[in-house]
Amino acid sequence: MNTIPVIINDKKLDVDPGKTILEVCRENDIEMLTMCHLKGVMDIGACRLCLVEVEGANKLMSACTTRVNANMIVRTATDKIKRYQRITTELFFAERNHVCSVCVANGKCELQQLGYKVELDHIRYPHLFPQCEVDTSHPWYVMDHNRCIMCTRCVRVCTEVEGAHNWDVMNRGHQVRIISDFNTPWGESITCTSCGKCLHACPTGAIWPKAIVQGQLEKKPEMLSELMEKRKMKL
Amino acid sequence: MNRHDLKTIIYAEKTKEENNKYRHKICVCCGASCISSGSEEVMKKLQEEIKTRGLENEVEVVPTGCMGPCNQGPLMKFLPEYNIYQKIDCSNISAIVQSQLTEKKPIEDLLLFADSREKPFLDAQEDPFFKKQMKIALRNCGHINPERIEDYLVHNGYQALDKVLFEMSPEEVIAEIKQSRLRGRGGAGYPTGFKWETVYKYVSDQKYVICNGDEGDPGAFMDRSVLEGNPHRVLEGMAIAGYAVGASKGYAYIRGEYPLAIKRFELAIKQARKMGLLGNNILGTSFSFDIEVRIGAGAFVCGEETALIASIEGKRGTPRPRPPFPAESGLWGKPTLINNVESFAAISPIINNGGEWYSEIGTPKSAGTKVFALAGKIKYSGLIEVPMGTTLREIVFDIGGGMQNDADFKAAQTGGPSGGCIPAEHLDVKMDYESLVSLGSIMGSGGLIIMDKSSDMVDVARYFMEFCMDESCGKCVPCRVGTRMMHDLLQKICDNKGTQIDLNRLEELAVYVKETSLCGLGGSAPNPLLSTLRHFRQEYENRIVKHD
Ligand SMILES: Cc1cc2nc3c(=O)[nH]c(=O)nc-3n(C[C@H](O)[C@H](O)[C@H](O)COP(=O)(O)O)c2cc1C
Ligand code: SF4
Ligand code: SF4
Ligand code: FES
Repeated sequence: MNTIPVIINDKKLDVDPGKTILEVCRENDIEMLTMCHLKGVMDIGACRLCLVEVEGANKLMSACTTRVNANMIVRTATDKIKRYQRITTELFFAERNHVCSVCVANGKCELQQLGYKVELDHIRYPHLFPQCEVDTSHPWYVMDHNRCIMCTRCVRVCTEVEGAHNWDVMNRGHQVRIISDFNTPWGESITCTSCGKCLHACPTGAIWPKAIVQGQLEKKPEMLSELMEKRKMKL
Repeated sequence: MNRHDLKTIIYAEKTKEENNKYRHKICVCCGASCISSGSEEVMKKLQEEIKTRGLENEVEVVPTGCMGPCNQGPLMKFLPEYNIYQKIDCSNISAIVQSQLTEKKPIEDLLLFADSREKPFLDAQEDPFFKKQMKIALRNCGHINPERIEDYLVHNGYQALDKVLFEMSPEEVIAEIKQSRLRGRGGAGYPTGFKWETVYKYVSDQKYVICNGDEGDPGAFMDRSVLEGNPHRVLEGMAIAGYAVGASKGYAYIRGEYPLAIKRFELAIKQARKMGLLGNNILGTSFSFDIEVRIGAGAFVCGEETALIASIEGKRGTPRPRPPFPAESGLWGKPTLINNVESFAAISPIINNGGEWYSEIGTPKSAGTKVFALAGKIKYSGLIEVPMGTTLREIVFDIGGGMQNDADFKAAQTGGPSGGCIPAEHLDVKMDYESLVSLGSIMGSGGLIIMDKSSDMVDVARYFMEFCMDESCGKCVPCRVGTRMMHDLLQKICDNKGTQIDLNRLEELAVYVKETSLCGLGGSAPNPLLSTLRHFRQEYENRIVKHD
């Protein structure tokens, strides 16, 4: 296949056209922060952590949704972008109720890791402390909206990989919530197949199996892309 | 119906008008604002009055779309004299008809602006409110019955469509629009001709044309008035666009809060189909084009083009990152042209009079006219259309008649929740795209709110932030959480509890949200805040708790 030249952080790379900036960066060991991106499902550009500066563009571009062009000049992790990544992380923590010390995902949470990566030592914005539900109606799993960051990875996995479309989003603005079916308890869902894929897709401790306690959650997000690969091979 | 049949119909209608046995035409404004102040009742009473006097054969009573001076309604216009009566009280109708039609003189005390001007103008066209205006998009609005296609036909209606189908190639149509230098009236001001050309160039078995009539800005009613006052004009513009870009299907996305606009647009579609101006083989040519109405559910964000497209597809109305732009991959992944109502309304005059004619109106970079919804602490609020480059001062003091109670002008908010304010020292700013941007505001879709000293600018910023916070779709983090944080901080300052640190945080967040948000809603949500900070910083400083 023909490759095209791009310049990322002053380094010239020859890459396959059709790839996203994020894919190219990851393949070339350029560190990228992401949250809504999950390999194997559609990218939506929602968390804005992967923003990069592209020469000639009049705004910052999300690397996960922007495809490379020939001779594109890209900068990642500039001072401005780092500052913005930190604010985004702070807003994630301030939005709902994240108490790592009592969370099943403690030590294995992508949000927590993001906090370490941007060297978050305190949060400058007031916590909103919204009142969120914990849905324990499913026989095996729990959905804790306090820990949800609205990345919609669960929604996309459920729709695109499992084909069940149990999860969706309701409301607008800071009132948005993940819902099961038409906002009924998860345990009463007629679409959920209890496959557990959303649990592995979720970056935080929002979805977890009932049988575990603090810090014991094991997630295998890469399982999903492997699954998609295997399906392709079968075809 | 073919071209010949259409010409026959127009000819018949025109002859009917010329040999008109009617000596008078009385227009009653049935725009949404006048209807809410009772114009339907006026219409009924007037018809009864004409009947009792046995004047049915001499006087034609026409319900029309918006005439403009909305806060003076209900309005009634006598033609050919051009006497307009304001704030019609049903009990006066008999006296007005007696005076106008029998005694042949108007009742001056009841004329438009009689209660606020020293002397009203008998011919309303002489009044500065109308004289300073230039009506292109609103040309027939207030003159014709929007529910009769024949009314539009005798006013050159569908002549532009006829012209492009028989005399012009799609390339020529696009060249004409490019030459007119028309820019999109939906807010961003993207050159319409270039957009059409882009869609035209993509090769696809199916393309779409979408008319954006979502108009969600608080205080805006330009698109509504165009749709209600002359739906056929928009429809014709869409059909011409369909021909130019190679689309056979159009969607008009109109917000559900505009039932009258929806009703009239649907009626217009039916009438046009019946006359062969929509549907298969329009006017006997090989061009086929049809339009469907889609009703919006009242989300501001659904005015954003990618969210609007998702909404038409039946999905949750949330924006997606661009590129790809709708011109490349829009509705159901097909090349899609999306333009604002007012942009489409400008198309047929451009085709009829030529692109050059249009390009000479307004300023070099912002050609043509712009419709504004004038509101707030101004004497005469309503719907106006002026050449681009008209100054804010002319709009406020000549057209708008000055401030209510002759108070001092403090600021004008343009562009609604995505725009900013213009303070008194910039009253002479030209209303065009670039000048407004240079002052930290935007043209937006045409909302223009005039404020006097009683407006607290911090509260104005808080109000618009609350709007954006509630209307954010919640997809991306900066807008979803950032607007909430900025709102809370603004509320704190409004409550006199804010500190300098809060103000610094606010400014940092504003720039962050502006630069990182996924779509234009978050991208412009900080504008009212940033512009009030720029022009009225002292008001913020005064509110801040000082530690000494
Ligand atoms: C939050 C948001 C709301 C919008 N609302 C409208 C609207 O109500 N009507 C409109 O015509 N354009 C609206 N737009 C602009 C559209 O995305 C699009 O640019 C426009 O319809 C293009 O038409 P034009 O080129 O004729 O202006 C909005 C944009 C944003 C970001
Ligand atoms: S539940 Fe988890 S995967 Fe789903 S949106 Fe919330 S954080 Fe994302
Ligand atoms: S900027 Fe606001 S409205 Fe636009 S995608 Fe983000 S959350 Fe939705
Ligand atoms: S990973 Fe690209 S925006 Fe979230």
